[in-house]
Amino acid sequence: MTRRAPLTLDDRPVPLEWKSALMLTVLTVAGLGMFAWPLFVAAPSPSGLGDASPFIFVALLPLLIFLVLAQISEKGIDAKALAILGVLSAINAALRPLGAGTGGIETVFFLLILAGRVFGPGFGFVLGCTSMFASALLTAGVGPWMPFQMLASAWIGMGAGFLPNRLFGRWVRGKAEVALLVVYGIVVAYLFGAIMNLWFWPFVTGPSMGADAQLAYIPGGPLLENLTRFAWFTLITSTAVWDTGRAVANTVLIVLVGAPVLAAFRRTVRRAVFAPDIEFVQP
Amino acid sequence: MTSVVKRFFMPRSLHPGAWWGWAIGCAVVASRTVNPILLGLLIAICCVTVQVRRTSAPWAMAFRMYLYLACFIIVLRVGFRVLFSAAGPTVVLRLPVVTIPGLPSVRLLGPVSAEALVGAGGSALQLAAMVVAVGAANALANPKRLLAAVPGALYEWGAVVVIAISVFPQLAESLVRVGRARQLRAETGKGAHLIRNVAMPVLSDALDRSLILAGAMDSRGYGRSAPVSPATRRATSALLILGSLAVCVGAYGLLDTGVTPVWAGASMVAVGVVVAVAGLKLSGARAHRTRYRPDPMAAPEWVVLGSGILACVGMVVVSIAQPLVAYPPTQPLGVPPVSVGALLAVLVLLVPAALAPSPQRWPSGSVTVTADHAPDRQPLTLRGAPR
Repeated sequence: MTRRAPLTLDDRPVPLEWKSALMLTVLTVAGLGMFAWPLFVAAPSPSGLGDASPFIFVALLPLLIFLVLAQISEKGIDAKALAILGVLSAINAALRPLGAGTGGIETVFFLLILAGRVFGPGFGFVLGCTSMFASALLTAGVGPWMPFQMLASAWIGMGAGFLPNRLFGRWVRGKAEVALLVVYGIVVAYLFGAIMNLWFWPFVTGPSMGADAQLAYIPGGPLLENLTRFAWFTLITSTAVWDTGRAVANTVLIVLVGAPVLAAFRRTVRRAVFAPDIEFVQP
Repeated sequence: MTSVVKRFFMPRSLHPGAWWGWAIGCAVVASRTVNPILLGLLIAICCVTVQVRRTSAPWAMAFRMYLYLACFIIVLRVGFRVLFSAAGPTVVLRLPVVTIPGLPSVRLLGPVSAEALVGAGGSALQLAAMVVAVGAANALANPKRLLAAVPGALYEWGAVVVIAISVFPQLAESLVRVGRARQLRAETGKGAHLIRNVAMPVLSDALDRSLILAGAMDSRGYGRSAPVSPATRRATSALLILGSLAVCVGAYGLLDTGVTPVWAGASMVAVGVVVAVAGLKLSGARAHRTRYRPDPMAAPEWVVLGSGILACVGMVVVSIAQPLVAYPPTQPLGVPPVSVGALLAVLVLLVPAALAPSPQRWPSGSVTVTADHAPDRQPLTLRGAPR
């Protein structure tokens, strides 16, 4: 039996051409800055803006995400890709409340990882955005945290799309693929927890707490000092329960249903045939 | 004259953008003060407005969740303060100091002072007021109409979210069908079997249906874009890329206040936003929209939006002119000062509760019928139907 070669980038439902890739890079750098600003920013000056910068980011980040999405859809997107994105966003939105509140077991990410793997980085990026947005509208609620969750899960979906198809000269399929995705799932579970904590940290502990609070954020403090404080904050408050719960959930779900879900996605790709239109030419 | 007034107050649901604008105004007002009196007033105004102007739609009923979340934020923030460090002059509670073995520099608990509690409470109330404001917008604005108002540049992604929201109830129905099929086959598997025999069929069903839906969408012209010249396309991309770069550089300038002046960063952000919005506008030319069921921006919408903008401007002025009112000191303890200007800036937000037209209410004693397949349509009311 011959194994079909995996889809090339051109066949993918949400293609990323160089302009989209450029804007994604800009968004990624800016987004990292907007998550990690507490570590780099000088102490707020009394010049009127004060510590309003996190609130400015809450307004600017959605705009940047919208710009990238507008560029990605600039040439129009196939209706099949739209329909699959919509359905998968609905499933993700339905999965989200299943896990919420039960010891950090988060059920959102495994489907995002599997979909990003099969449908490609562009699709994974958009799916991360739309499923967080849809679930915010349906169940979880819209809030200032939403753009940041959207970006973080979009990165997770996009990263899954960039995982290699060939490793050491062999196709990554079957058990090797599930193993690769499990490792990726564990890594992103901890990274997601850390990065959302980093966003949340100055709000919860706050500059008003003063420098004598050992886990609080010091505005304009030295990078290493703040980094140590943050590491202890995230270790004590969430790593043991929330992040580990998320990593375990990702692992168990990918091991249990990874192979059949990947197969179902690949079957959908074959049925939908995301390829350029067929043209008939005179012989 | 009376007809103008009558038309103004005619019961209808407002443009969702008006309510979101008002709520963002509330959030900006909250971001410019930590005065507990002003923030408490702001939260009360949000609650009153929601109570008076919401419908009985499911999204309007979720407001309570936002209030719970706001309470949770206050408890969490004050709790963190007590846990990490709440020392100060007026000690109200003495807790034992806990150290983590092997890490002498981290001390938890310890004496709790009233000043620390008031300070943490003020900034927690600020965050809570923002959450309540967003919750109010969620309760007052119809999310489906908001998606209909999505700019043309994001037309495809708006369609995706609409599909997601419409497909959501179908998943439950799919689950029931798979369950019935299992009963007919007398399957009793549990645990991992449940995933293979229930979750996978539901997923495959959803994927298959999505391709059927795509066929239906294709035949009706969804996801189609109008022809755009290559020159326009290049201009669009250039505007989008330049706009996002300018916004990023400006935001960096805003943060790096030590080197660049604030106005330079702010004007860079403003230029970036203008360029980006122009790019979005140009990119929206490829999406053709229906002209049926328009959401007008009429006088009531402008009243609601205007009250939000006025309050924003007022509070920014107050926070610069009267910093002691906007950011009252926690030491020495005392009632935080308020000024007429600050109170007016917050009270302007109460205007929509009085002046916005009320949403359609259905008289009691009538039967309301909502078609399952079109839950966003106006419900059909049969008057005089038996109870």
